Amino acid sequence: MASKKTSSQETILKLENVWKIYQMGEVEVPALRGVSVEIRRGDFVAIMGASGSGKSTMMNLIGCLDLPSKGSILLKGRDISMMSESDLSSLRGHTIGFIFQQYNLIPSISALENVLLPLELLEVDDAAAGRRAREILVLVGLGDKIHHRPTQLSGGQQQRVSIARSLANNPEIILADEPTGALDSVTGNEVLETLRKLWKNEGKTIIMVTHDINIARYAHTIIELKDGKVISTRENEVQK
Amino acid sequence: MKFIKAFKYAFNMVMHSRLRSWLTILGIVIGVAAVISIVSIGNALKSEVTSQLGQLGGDLLTLRAGASRAGGFAGPGGFDSGGSASASKEEIVIDKTDVQVLKGISGIKLIATEISGRADAYYVAEKGSTTVTGVDPAVWSQITTSTIRDGRMLGPADTNVIVVGGRFADSFFSKQLGVNHMVTIEDRLFRIVGILDDSSSNIYMPITQAYTVLTDKTKDVYDQVIIKVKDEDELNQTMDDINYKLKIARHVISGKLDFTLTSNKERQAQRTSMLASLTTFLTAIAAVALLVGAVGVANTMFTSVLEKTKEIGIMKAIGARNKDIMIIFLLNAALIGLIGGIIGIIIGTLLSGILPSIISGTGGMFGRFGSLGSIVSLSSVLMAIGISLIIGMGAGAIPAYQASKLKPVDALRYE
Repeated sequence: MASKKTSSQETILKLENVWKIYQMGEVEVPALRGVSVEIRRGDFVAIMGASGSGKSTMMNLIGCLDLPSKGSILLKGRDISMMSESDLSSLRGHTIGFIFQQYNLIPSISALENVLLPLELLEVDDAAAGRRAREILVLVGLGDKIHHRPTQLSGGQQQRVSIARSLANNPEIILADEPTGALDSVTGNEVLETLRKLWKNEGKTIIMVTHDINIARYAHTIIELKDGKVISTRENEVQK
Repeated sequence: MKFIKAFKYAFNMVMHSRLRSWLTILGIVIGVAAVISIVSIGNALKSEVTSQLGQLGGDLLTLRAGASRAGGFAGPGGFDSGGSASASKEEIVIDKTDVQVLKGISGIKLIATEISGRADAYYVAEKGSTTVTGVDPAVWSQITTSTIRDGRMLGPADTNVIVVGGRFADSFFSKQLGVNHMVTIEDRLFRIVGILDDSSSNIYMPITQAYTVLTDKTKDVYDQVIIKVKDEDELNQTMDDINYKLKIARHVISGKLDFTLTSNKERQAQRTSMLASLTTFLTAIAAVALLVGAVGVANTMFTSVLEKTKEIGIMKAIGARNKDIMIIFLLNAALIGLIGGIIGIIIGTLLSGILPSIISGTGGMFGRFGSLGSIVSLSSVLMAIGISLIIGMGAGAIPAYQASKLKPVDALRYE
């Protein structure tokens, strides 16, 4: 456990004075105004804020889907604004697993193929990829539905496929954007429990974006945003 | 992403927008089928004309009276009703004196005089009009490029005998004719001694008898003189020689020729180039159809990129590089082109087999090619596949590039 202790102190993601300004015609709208945040490896972080607080912008930046207007973002010590689009794609593929509010599964292919997709993008060998994808689908409790299309699955099941997909490449960071937003409270709780398990048992770094304090309570660290600024960072009493 | 996986996703995309894909494919099919059928029919026509003219021999020259006419589509014997044999003394003709001049030219090997015209032929109780050609029986067998199917050629001492074309023997009368059958031509009885291996209805007889059968012809005046040169390599020089000597003998003022000397090579080149330009013209029209098909592919790909914007965003979020997206969309377009190309080739091949007989059925100029079908060469098939692939990818290039350049954050937000 000693080694685990040290690794959990290490910073995996660092935002330094990050600004994100959107150009709306003539007007410049700042979505983030000088945000500085450090996320440690193995932490379960909730980024919380009302709509318009900049949390979606922040999640896009953390997920390397977008680049900051000012300031720097260091993912595992590397400045993402210095990287090419292709490198960012590879970095995402290897390091970050995305879970979206609307699941964002590819509708025309089966659950298994959806989970295989990130593995195929990283050119993982077929046999290993197939094994891995089935394994994770069993892990999220969909072992019997691997050949179903997303449209043949319930919302909760689709979200579990999406969790399985995010885990396919065994990324260090799981980035969840309102993962329970489209689910009823029972299924939503199941998803949150799954995330907590990934944090506790697998040692993943979980970053969850939400507007709901009740959901944010599942996390260990809660970062609260308002009007594009961090207004509080507090540690929850939640323990591993 | 590995190529084979990208191919799988591209194929999946084609299959999942089935109606739109097939409609787009249809556009390519029409274009490719049009190009293939026109090019192959053109090839068939060209090779047929070339072989027909090739049979006439490159060492042959034809001398006719009158200034040169544009080489038309009239086949051998097509000038049967030429005015050169009219009785009027003012008429420009080729006659015995011209042949005497030709005999004095060293480059000439053989001279065959010919007349031809329409005459009625009778067999049992049937009657029909056909072309009778009077040939010099001593020379004809050496100069003609026709080959004999049955019997023999005309010989120097022949009288009252004829050699007939293959179609004349087979189907001119209701009963098939063979060697030694007797046919009445303009009140005179002739015995068939040979049947040619061709599909003509012509009758060939010794020229002396042709004068009696074709009553409007004047003795020692010829419709045409076929000249065989000694050396094909010196064809042009011999032609110059003939032109020069005939001009002197006929008192022709330079520049106003009253006779025409053509070589088969020239006629061959003329007809081939005419056919080539016809084929090129039709191919150009077909190419426009193909171009429209390509625009269809581009249109479909733009729509597809729009429709798949969110999926592109998802794929980028989970690790797809620009290159991966680009390849998937390019392959999608290439697949549409390829499928369209293959189906187009099949339909085009079928069409090019069927079309000539449809055209010949209406009795057009393709009539005699009716039985020939067409030539679909491997190279034109490969070219069609290559072109449809290139068209697919070319038309898909810009949409694919646009897709690959989508920002993940914008693409994900797209609904």
